[in-house]
Amino acid sequence: MSLLHLCFYSSYTLSGLGLAFHRTHLISALLCLESMMLSMYIALSMWPVENQTMSPALIPILMLTFSACEAGTGLAMLVASTRTHGSDHLHNLNLLQC
Amino acid sequence: MIYFVLFLGFAFILGSLAVASNPSPYYGVVGLVLASVVGCGWLLSLGTSFIALVLFMVYLGGMLVVFVYSVALAADPFPEAWGSWRVLGYGVGFVLVLVLGAMVGGLVECWKLGVITVDGGGVLSVRVDFSGVAMFYSWGVGMFLVAGWGLLLTLFVVLELVRGLFSGAIRAV
Repeated sequence: MSLLHLCFYSSYTLSGLGLAFHRTHLISALLCLESMMLSMYIALSMWPVENQTMSPALIPILMLTFSACEAGTGLAMLVASTRTHGSDHLHNLNLLQC
Repeated sequence: MIYFVLFLGFAFILGSLAVASNPSPYYGVVGLVLASVVGCGWLLSLGTSFIALVLFMVYLGGMLVVFVYSVALAADPFPEAWGSWRVLGYGVGFVLVLVLGAMVGGLVECWKLGVITVDGGGVLSVRVDFSGVAMFYSWGVGMFLVAGWGLLLTLFVVLELVRGLFSGAIRAV
């Protein structure tokens, strides 16, 4: 794997691990998700540069659009759960716990 | 010049490491801002300046600002910190400025850093990223309309999620 590919690949993996092992706050998980989207954007932007083709250049823009939708929805759910539970601590989200 | 892009790549990894291992969401947002700034510099070094500017304006100036406000809403009032982060930041920043100045100014003979891009010259040259994103309006008009419709729907989804009129109460956080 070339070294720049290793850079965004390891960034994606680190953010995925941060998403899997988030500790107290829900918003830390959302931040790790945003970091995964950023590394995917960089990866998709390197495709038209390396292959010297023009039309894959709109794929990162499209991905950023849907990532903005997803970030807005995730933040709305964060605000809704903070209003209901008082904080966004993950051990408060235990309605399904028996 | 190759080594500068690799340095930006390693700084990108450091930024996402800061997001993954944050002691508090405030420092996670700092890591994300660092990662997006460095990622923009990375894309600029590759020559795709339009994609880099879109990243700056939409991602950093739109989405991350909203994230900073949400972190101010939802995080602890007294967060734990990383130690003498401020001192380390100042030191690293000054060393970076010094090294970059030496490289651009040509003081060090083995590190010549050109500031002219190789893939843009003249008025009639076709750029890779400008032409590619302009295809959004010609061949990709279906996805363009779908993306715009999705954004409009997201607005209503967010409004319904935080309304809380008869499903949940609006309380002071």
